[in-house]
Amino acid sequence: MNCGAALGKIEAKADGLLPREAEAELAGHLAGCPACAAEDAVISATGPALRALTGIRAMEKAPALDAMWTRVRAGIEESREARRRSSWIARWAWIPAAVVLAVLALLFYPAGTDRSPFHPSTFDVAVEDVESDVATVALVDKGEDLPRVIWIIEDAKT
Amino acid sequence: MPRPDPRGRAGASALFFLLLLLLLAAVPSEAANTVSVDVGAVYASNEGTSIDPALGTIRGKLHSMFNYTSYRMLDRKRRSLSVGEAGEFELPGRRTMRTTPLPAQGDKVRLSIQISDGPRKLLTTTIGLRRGGMVLVGGPSHQAGVLILIISAE
Repeated sequence: MNCGAALGKIEAKADGLLPREAEAELAGHLAGCPACAAEDAVISATGPALRALTGIRAMEKAPALDAMWTRVRAGIEESREARRRSSWIARWAWIPAAVVLAVLALLFYPAGTDRSPFHPSTFDVAVEDVESDVATVALVDKGEDLPRVIWIIEDAKT
Repeated sequence: MPRPDPRGRAGASALFFLLLLLLLAAVPSEAANTVSVDVGAVYASNEGTSIDPALGTIRGKLHSMFNYTSYRMLDRKRRSLSVGEAGEFELPGRRTMRTTPLPAQGDKVRLSIQISDGPRKLLTTTIGLRRGGMVLVGGPSHQAGVLILIISAE
């Protein structure tokens, strides 16, 4: 193994990507190459140093992160409240709509049931007076089950 | 997810029905002073044997009362009139019917009716009937038969 290949394997080992069988080969090279061994020591130390640094930075940023989470939670709560408010409006909005519909139905209900068939509830009719200037008028009553008829006889035509 | 408050929904329904009841309660007081007059003009003749289905339950009664074989509804009009308010109905054959609700008590309706053929007064009558009741006025000639007016009031 030459030093170039060994450097690649050292980096792979630091990243945890070096297969086990290659580790023994690399160890053999490092044992006989002080330069590569020194490079391996430096690179192997970099990982823990970076982790330590990240931890320090995280501790430094913790208050800022806490503040950010507080803001995020407040935002979530606010949007939830807004949704709750809008759903409340949606729940009650039908009332004025229903009232308007009821009023319109009452106002514009077809007053003329012009198309519905006749369904009289009674034929009880009192004829108080009846007269004609030009015809003979007869009052026909054929019983309670039949309507009373005022029959106009024009010039003995009908 | 917040669940809808069932008490709110029940309250809304109660409010809606209360409003509806208020509206409906307001209508009869108005309706008590008005009479809905319905006038159907039927052409009765011996041309054919058809009976207009629009005549409803009256079909059989017309058939049993008169000797015509065909009954056809030519026109039907309905008008809401206040007591003392005259309403004019145009009838087939350039005839007119003028009716005026008169004061009446309870569920009774009194109508003053005048049917004219141009300047000629064919009929002047005053009838009293219950709301939902009906009277027939027939006889004026029309084409090959006669006109029968179905007058009902509610």
